[in-house]
Amino acid sequence: MGVIAETTQENRTPAAVGAAIRRTDMRARGEPALWVLGGALALGIAMIAGFLALVAWNGILTFIPKPIDVVTQADGTVTAGEPFREELFRPDAEVLEALTPEWRARIAAADGYTSRTLYRTGNFDLYGEDFRWIPDFTVTKRERPANVLFIERLEWGPFVGSIKSATIDGAERQIASLDDPAFVAAHRMSRQRWAQANDIEKDEIGAINHKLEAARLDLRGVELDSGRDSTDYRQAQARVEADAAVQRGNYDKLAVQVEDLRRLNAANTVTFVAVGGEEKTEEMAHLVRFYPANDLSFGGKIAVYFSRWAEFLGDEPREANTEGGVLPAIFGTAAMTLLMVIAVAPFGVMTALYLREYAKQGRLVSIVRISVNNLAGVPSIVYGVFGLGFFAYTLGGSIDALFYPERLPNPTFGTGGLLWSALTLALLTVPVVIVATEEALAAVPRSMREGSLACGASKWQTIRNIVLPRAMPGIMTGIILAMARGAGEVAPLMLVGVVKLAPELPVDGLFPFVHLERSFMHLGFHIYDVGFQSRNAEAGKPMVFVTTMLLISLIFVMNVVAIVIRNRLRRKFAGSQF
Amino acid sequence: MNMDIATSAREDTVYHVKRGGAGAVLDIENLSLWYGQAQALHNVTMPMEKGLVTALIGPSGCGKSTLLRCINRMNDLVDGLSIAGSIKLHGEDIYARDADVIALRKRMGMVFQKPNPFPMSIFQNVVYPLKVDGVRDKTVLEETCERALRSAALWNEVKDRLDQSALGLSGGQQQRLCIARAVAADPEVLLMDEPCSALDPIATAKIEDLISELTGHYTIIIVTHNMQQAARVSDNTAFMYLGRLVEYGDTEVVFQTPKSGKTQDYVTGRFG
Repeated sequence: MGVIAETTQENRTPAAVGAAIRRTDMRARGEPALWVLGGALALGIAMIAGFLALVAWNGILTFIPKPIDVVTQADGTVTAGEPFREELFRPDAEVLEALTPEWRARIAAADGYTSRTLYRTGNFDLYGEDFRWIPDFTVTKRERPANVLFIERLEWGPFVGSIKSATIDGAERQIASLDDPAFVAAHRMSRQRWAQANDIEKDEIGAINHKLEAARLDLRGVELDSGRDSTDYRQAQARVEADAAVQRGNYDKLAVQVEDLRRLNAANTVTFVAVGGEEKTEEMAHLVRFYPANDLSFGGKIAVYFSRWAEFLGDEPREANTEGGVLPAIFGTAAMTLLMVIAVAPFGVMTALYLREYAKQGRLVSIVRISVNNLAGVPSIVYGVFGLGFFAYTLGGSIDALFYPERLPNPTFGTGGLLWSALTLALLTVPVVIVATEEALAAVPRSMREGSLACGASKWQTIRNIVLPRAMPGIMTGIILAMARGAGEVAPLMLVGVVKLAPELPVDGLFPFVHLERSFMHLGFHIYDVGFQSRNAEAGKPMVFVTTMLLISLIFVMNVVAIVIRNRLRRKFAGSQF
Repeated sequence: MNMDIATSAREDTVYHVKRGGAGAVLDIENLSLWYGQAQALHNVTMPMEKGLVTALIGPSGCGKSTLLRCINRMNDLVDGLSIAGSIKLHGEDIYARDADVIALRKRMGMVFQKPNPFPMSIFQNVVYPLKVDGVRDKTVLEETCERALRSAALWNEVKDRLDQSALGLSGGQQQRLCIARAVAADPEVLLMDEPCSALDPIATAKIEDLISELTGHYTIIIVTHNMQQAARVSDNTAFMYLGRLVEYGDTEVVFQTPKSGKTQDYVTGRFG
């Protein structure tokens, strides 16, 4: 330092100049640190991109129709199925003993390993299994005949085989091909009747049941109010019974209609024959989709692919959720997330407003702030336990006792449901909103507040007119983060209202239209259920990817909407600042 | 508090105030102020004449902005602030226990160092003081807006885009908008805290013209670092130094024949 200070412009030697401009040390310039930082970022991005690519790849490919191999083994068994996956394995010694010397040599050359293929054989009702491993060394013939069909049914999973004969309106007839107009028309008719019968059962008979239940509850209410011996009760009883008789009459009429539809459908059947010669007769109404897997044109493949997507997105699940659609789960996830945002946004914003604007900044506020931040670290299942204990049992139990005494001992709000799930997740995500809102409020320039106060505005008017609008983009960011966190959360929901299969959507045409007390389905839980809780884990696996892809897309769409709203606000409130 | 210093500081002040004829609007009496332990104002006594422009000058940190912000109690926002003495607006002590701060601020307009338009339309900005006062009558609001913008010499520039965001205006326009906002509710006193320090010379000249035009309608108190500006626009000038009022009186006297040695040193540029 001193030396440099004494060196004046005049007496600087060339050597001194050279020393002064010597290259800066690489470490001093932070180059290694830069590489580490960049590497960390690249690693993170690569992992996320890899994960998304894996999910998308599997999710997109799942619904493509695959060809069917018909495999003949050395012992004469014939198996037909979609090749599902291949793997290397090490056959046991006894198995090797029985092989031809040629195969033994080949396996020995590969260090004792050989490959086998997993076939999705379907025909669970005939074989008692859906999948079968076939080692390569047992295969004598592998072919792809054009007449093998892949048939998706309402029950028992897919069927692999060919059509033997069909019965249309009770008359047996041979079918030349799948395009046979008589067959196509009969199948369409059967499916329509089936849908119609379902609709009647679900909507009209459902409405009758709803009315009967309402009448029963009405009567029970009168009983609780005035006792069993009162004239009120007797009058109500007579009224309810008369009403019930009418409803039962209606029910009987509808039941006859359904019965007729079912009987007509029973006359339309198809008899299939599996490759092993086993026969199976199915009602046409139960055939969701069928196609000649090995004889499918490109257009046909596309049609099957999109028809499967349409079913997935627009229908209800069947076969223990491994087949059919996820519409109730999409609906449940969106409804729950929306409700959660409605609950968490005002609650978090109000809390942050008080903390930042009104509370005296001191030890107590610091403790509150630290506690709020720590809440974000509590395991989510703990929130589930709390939600069940506090919301469902305590709050919901009280609501039931006060407003629905006639329904007891059946709980209405006193068990898990949509509302309690949304509130539990709101509690889980409220720290995110509080922290983001506090930061947004702190970032509002002091000059704005002073300008408003100097105009004679009260503190509350200043907050409402100036501070809140200015902080809104920041608050929205917090809400977006909370939404993303909440929409993907599963563990607490398993305790407070998510079910494997919800009989009814939380929104329907029956008064009061939105049923916050109902349990619901959720995509996150659906993933867990399909992947790990179903009878058929192999069949569920591709569905895990598809459902994951769908959940990620749903969260993505909701976030994009929120971000668009936020940016619109930001443009409005943060123009060119001086 | 050390009484010796307090009395001597008071005796040090040189007064030769130019009278406006209408009496004093504001009477600052013996005002002392502490930020926590640090004393920022020492026994300031200062009457402000109605209808005149009073400039507060002095080096940075001398307490002139603090004094200005005492007048509409903006200092209330500061934690750990304590005050002794009184400020009277038409004889009413604004620091009295039952004084209504919000009502007080409605009687005063304030213009800040940096333009601080609100993130809303030009129209909404100007009528903001009326809106928070509960005025909803559209014709009243529109008339007020035009009158305020005209008195801030901004009407002709913005009359066709009153519904556009105020943040789209230039810096000078924004500051004049803030002046329009400050005069919209027809205040008795207009407080200006270095209103031109963030503006270029042309915008500054416009604001100064504006101040000259507003003289007579309003009692204006302006804090400025720019001594030429103080000399140009004000009737009375107060020179403050280290929290004390050193000299307060006729602007011409302060700048040409100051009575205090310290004022002499400051206005001739020997320190500060």
